[in-house]
Amino acid sequence: MRELITMWRDTRMIMLVAVIAAIYAAVLIPFNALTIIPGITSIRPANVFPVIFGIMFGPAAAWGSAIGNLIGDVFSGQLGPGSVGGFVGNFFFGLVGYKLWGNLGPLSSGEEPRMDSARQVVEYLVIALTAAAACAAIIAWWLDVLELFPFSVLGTIITVNNFLAAAVLGPPLLYLVYPRVKEMGLLYPDVMREDDLPDVAPSRRQLAATGIVAVSIAWVAIGIAISVGVEGTQFLATTGETFGQGGSVTQQVLGAVGLLVLLGLTAISGDSLSEMVRR
Amino acid sequence: MSGGSSLYVNGDSILHRLAPRAKIALALGVFAVALAFDNPAWVVVPFAVSLVTLLALGGLKNLMRVWFVVVAIFVVGMVVWPAFVPAGGPVVLSTPLLDVTRDEVLLALGRSTRFASFIVTGLLFVTVTSNEEIVAGLRSLGVPFAFCFAVGTALRLFPTLLSATGTVRQAQEARGHDVAARSPIKRIRNYVPLLIPVFMTAIRNVQTQSMALEARGFDTRRERTFYGRRPLSGRDWLAILAGVALIVGAAVARYVFGLGVV
Repeated sequence: MRELITMWRDTRMIMLVAVIAAIYAAVLIPFNALTIIPGITSIRPANVFPVIFGIMFGPAAAWGSAIGNLIGDVFSGQLGPGSVGGFVGNFFFGLVGYKLWGNLGPLSSGEEPRMDSARQVVEYLVIALTAAAACAAIIAWWLDVLELFPFSVLGTIITVNNFLAAAVLGPPLLYLVYPRVKEMGLLYPDVMREDDLPDVAPSRRQLAATGIVAVSIAWVAIGIAISVGVEGTQFLATTGETFGQGGSVTQQVLGAVGLLVLLGLTAISGDSLSEMVRR
Repeated sequence: MSGGSSLYVNGDSILHRLAPRAKIALALGVFAVALAFDNPAWVVVPFAVSLVTLLALGGLKNLMRVWFVVVAIFVVGMVVWPAFVPAGGPVVLSTPLLDVTRDEVLLALGRSTRFASFIVTGLLFVTVTSNEEIVAGLRSLGVPFAFCFAVGTALRLFPTLLSATGTVRQAQEARGHDVAARSPIKRIRNYVPLLIPVFMTAIRNVQTQSMALEARGFDTRRERTFYGRRPLSGRDWLAILAGVALIVGAAVARYVFGLGVV
């Protein structure tokens, strides 16, 4: 987790944050007109960027995605109290990629993310689903806390919306872009000093990565189950019917625990791409 | 990537001469007014003030860059919002599928205007505030310099990339690339040839821009000085007070007196 702070010492990482934020915002804004819930979310093909940038640019993608989403909110009229959840959610959306790549045990390909083998694509899809779920859980929890929507409404929509774009666009984009970015020397292991990268034993990296996958997906699944099963929100309810609901104490507690555990796992996690690149 | 692509319009208006912190306070005040009220008659005030000021200060070119987003969000909001708000008042539109009531129309209009107001106010802020001022303003609020720099640079770069997306799309369409497709997945896939040139160009510039910055002594570990940084003048304090008054006034009007609701 130290790298999320120390990256701010490096000029190229700072420029990457700015460029990632700008790209994310520039592709988000034109699509914000394709509204799913006005003022909350829309069809977002740009959701592929936090995941693939997270794998290639590491911590710069976490900050860049958070800032880019905020700029997108301002320039598409979606700025509001929900933007706080959007900032944190998109931060995790960009963070998960480099924390998980190469650390998923049997699901990991053990190779760089060139997307030239089926195992790499499977590993990528697990990461995309985890990142989508982590982002969705944080935003859905925050909007439930604000009493705007019950958890299940946004939890479902954002997970699907995030995952669909990342799963469909990610593999071809990575296939085309990863070798070029590597050639430019802009992968985060090439840009950051070795001392600034997390030095974590492989077993702990794997444990933390597995935990991040489990907590992200479980948080969304349990949150939706409580919302539907206990609180009586209809599964796949139309957003219009549920607007203005939420504020459940159970969801608040579940979310607080989920976020703390996710932060804790992130703190003890490491990365594997730096080893693969230097091999 | 910079230069003429910036949204900042050089000028000597009162707004231009305000300190960045004062501009931030004013913008937050206008945002608060748009956010507090539902009634379109109230929400249209911050929208109209921002729009007229933007046009008066030479921001038409900036508005033209995002007009399609403003119009689309407004139109989609008018169609979608009635599904999110309670019905009330007489039916003003009756179709075989649904009836739309007066309150639904008013709330849809109010909320769509609110979003348009946010966009136009944000645009006005970056029209009268240069990138350097945004960085200095955030820094003076205690935000770490490197973070301020990244936000300022992203704000400078994203309009360029927004335009580049349109240019690449036209170029690819001229070569026979068809973005439209019936299947949503195919439609998303069709964007791959558009996205790659846009972000590869941007990322390729990271190296040269970083070298240019370092050649000029860019260092985030030391405290920076800013050219033209000055203490807040009386005019700035008045603007800050106006921003605070707008926030407090909007909250009191809405939540104490119940004004501006449908």
